[in-house]
Amino acid sequence: MAKQIGRDQQGITLRGSAEIVAEFFSYGINSILYQRGIYPPETFTRVQKYGLTLLVTTDPELKNYLNNVVEQMKEWLYKCIVQRLVVVISSIENNEVLERWQFDIECDKAAKDESTPREKSQKAIQDEIRSVIRQITATVTFLPLLETACAFDLLIYTDKDLAVPEKWEESGPQFIANSEEVRLRSFTTTIHKVNSMVAYKKDSFP
Amino acid sequence: MEDLENNTTVFSTLRSLNNFIAQRVEGMSGLATPGSSQSSLQMQYQQRVQLEEQAGQIHSKSQLLQVEREKMQMELSHKRARIELEKAANTNARNYEREADRNQELLTRIKQYQEREMEAENKLKEQIEMNKSYKKSMETMSKKLQEKESKLAEANETITVLKGKISELQWNIMNQEMQMTSQDSQKQELMEQLDVQHKKWQEASQQIQTLQASQSLLAEYEQKIKDLEQKFSQQEHDALIVKNMKAELARFPKMERELRQLREENAYFREMKENNGLLKEEVEGLQRKLERYEKVQAQLVTLELENEKLLGKLKSWEKLDQSTGLNIRTPDDLSRQIVALQQRELVLKEQNSTITNNARILEKARQQLQEETVRVQSQLLDEKKKREQHEALVRRLQKRVLLLTKERDGMRAILESYDSELTPSEHSPQLNRRMREAEEMVQKLHAHNTELEGQLSQVLEEVGNQKQRAEMLEVEMKVLKSQECTADQSLFVSKEEVDALRLKIEELEAERSKLEGENRALEMKLEKLTLQGDYDPSKTKVLHFSMNPASLAKQQRKEEQQQLQEECERLRELVRVLEGGGSIPESLEGVGSFQSPQEIAELKKQVESAELKNQRLKEVFQTKIQEFRKVCYTLTGYQIDITTENQYRLTSIYAEHQGDCLLFKVLLWSAHLPAFIEGSAHTVASCSILPGQQSLKGGTQELAFCTLSREALLMCRQVWIVSSYQPRYTQDERN
Repeated sequence: MAKQIGRDQQGITLRGSAEIVAEFFSYGINSILYQRGIYPPETFTRVQKYGLTLLVTTDPELKNYLNNVVEQMKEWLYKCIVQRLVVVISSIENNEVLERWQFDIECDKAAKDESTPREKSQKAIQDEIRSVIRQITATVTFLPLLETACAFDLLIYTDKDLAVPEKWEESGPQFIANSEEVRLRSFTTTIHKVNSMVAYKKDSFP
Repeated sequence: MEDLENNTTVFSTLRSLNNFIAQRVEGMSGLATPGSSQSSLQMQYQQRVQLEEQAGQIHSKSQLLQVEREKMQMELSHKRARIELEKAANTNARNYEREADRNQELLTRIKQYQEREMEAENKLKEQIEMNKSYKKSMETMSKKLQEKESKLAEANETITVLKGKISELQWNIMNQEMQMTSQDSQKQELMEQLDVQHKKWQEASQQIQTLQASQSLLAEYEQKIKDLEQKFSQQEHDALIVKNMKAELARFPKMERELRQLREENAYFREMKENNGLLKEEVEGLQRKLERYEKVQAQLVTLELENEKLLGKLKSWEKLDQSTGLNIRTPDDLSRQIVALQQRELVLKEQNSTITNNARILEKARQQLQEETVRVQSQLLDEKKKREQHEALVRRLQKRVLLLTKERDGMRAILESYDSELTPSEHSPQLNRRMREAEEMVQKLHAHNTELEGQLSQVLEEVGNQKQRAEMLEVEMKVLKSQECTADQSLFVSKEEVDALRLKIEELEAERSKLEGENRALEMKLEKLTLQGDYDPSKTKVLHFSMNPASLAKQQRKEEQQQLQEECERLRELVRVLEGGGSIPESLEGVGSFQSPQEIAELKKQVESAELKNQRLKEVFQTKIQEFRKVCYTLTGYQIDITTENQYRLTSIYAEHQGDCLLFKVLLWSAHLPAFIEGSAHTVASCSILPGQQSLKGGTQELAFCTLSREALLMCRQVWIVSSYQPRYTQDERN
């Protein structure tokens, strides 16, 4: 607790902001996987975070994969070279992309050279994140049902001149052919601003 | 006393000094006059110095007196201190003597005590030595006592031990005697029991034998029952099979009839199908023709409309001839007229352009001429100004010349007057002075004059400049006025330009609004594309983890598909083989491996149990068949053995020689009876028995026979009886 109070008093640094955003991605992706039924509900367990009861996975392979991606994201957020994170949900049978959850990241590069932290309270950031996650849960009501078995993939849009690390490779953007888009809420830590949106395939029979 | 006297003298001298100083000060104040003689000051200074010397002397004297007084006081105090010290020294010396006496007394006492101490120590040592010797003697005595006591104790112990042993031995002897008697009695009892047991054993062995005999009988009966049950079940099976065959046979003619009907219907349906096909093709052809005719009709209608329009146009063209009155009969004339008009238009445009060019050239020339006139007028004004300046100079110079001549005349007159005055008087110095003054006045006046003339010239120059500027401005005004009248003519041109500019502005504003609209539309598109996830490939790239869940799921799917395809192919091959009716090759038996391991284990268990059953049956059969053959031999007297494949040997108890036997060979097995058997007697001759063919309708039986001994004949006959063959003699065998 002393550490958190100290952080509140000290303000938001670049590293602290990167950690907050990476943590949000970790919980957000878990929520999406649970809500859309990509993995069976019995493989999820409840935790308390941002003042909400969120569900995170217990599957060790999936946890390992998510940790790898989130750790890499933290590094890239600290260096301000990541522009977007996309969760692509596609059908296993015909590899057709059915949904695309996109998170745009705008980074204030001046914070790299600043030494003094910026003034924004942890509580305000948590409230914003809470509203984003609630909205993600609420959007599930109007999204079309995923009837076939689906798998997900995480795409990261970065600067062109970044060196591709081991175990990562370039991929296509995986657009949806005939899509509807909905823009969701955003939150900011004064150093990173995250905009959320979801695109889904239009039903062939309206 | 001396001090007081000294003090009074000091004070008196001090008072006199102060009085003297006060007098001098008063005297000095009256003499303060600035700028008087210097000797009075020196006197005062000397007096002051003397006074100061006296004051210094008095001061030193007073100091001396003070010092002497202090010295006296110190000496007094010194004396007092010395006296006190002497007293203290005396008292200390007395104390010291007293203490020295005490010390000596104490020393003598110490010596006495030391002597006493020595004596006491010597006594102590002697007594300690005595004690030690006594102790040693005591120890030796005690040791001796202990030894004696220990010896006594040992002796007592041995006595008791021996006594105990004696008693024990006596006890043991008693016990053993008792045991002997008891064992004797037991032995007798056991002997009696042995006899009894022996008898029982004999009875039990007899019973066992009887039981074994009864068990063997039971087993035989059980086997008979089983055989009978098997035969019964076989007969039931056969009955069922016969019934099914009869039913199938009954159905057979019906099936043939149905087959014929179905074939006829098949042929009929095939013909109908062909007819249907043909009819459909005809219908399609007719439909296409219909469509074509409808299209042609529509085209007809449109062509008629066009025709009417063209006729109308023709009529109007023909009317043109009358309306325009230009001698036009054909469209060619019209075209020619148009061409002529266009040529005229071209010519007029050329003229127009040449005229506009000429107008522009003339305007340019006019402007150039105007500029030249302006230049020339300015030059004129300059020349005028220069001329005026020169005239003014000339006038000034003339005036100066007049003034100078007047001055000269005046100066000459003055000089003449001076010359006339100079000869009578000799006031030359005064006259010189006056002359000098006059010259100076003249010079000053000249200088003043030149200054004024310079100022005048400057003023005149300025006036000339201003006049020139004014004239230039007047010229420009004239030029502008002349230009104003030409400006009225160009007003129309400027109005046209203004209109053209306004039109341009409107067009540009329209373009701007269009571009704004396009900009908004592009921004909307960009927003939509970013929502869809579009990106600029030159600045960003898309990365993902190689081992991501979607790719893993795809791989798993592919593997599953491959496995399923392989299974499918194997099953298809199995089906083909089974349909063909062949046995399952070993390679395909692996297909059955898709059964669960539990079923496989159960089947294995069943196989093992079946094999065990088989083995048990074999063993039981072996024992039983041996018993059966023995029984047959003992009951009937004949034993049949298999020598090789299809050869049997028949031996009999009743044969004369032990080695006599009949050999038989099976040629053909028929359904109900062993038909052909060749036989030979071992010792006598070969013998072949060829029973006739046996069939359902019945048939003759023939036997070939050869020379046999009596016993062999008997054997054969018996064999025939057993196998129900009728013998018949052939010619060969009568011998």
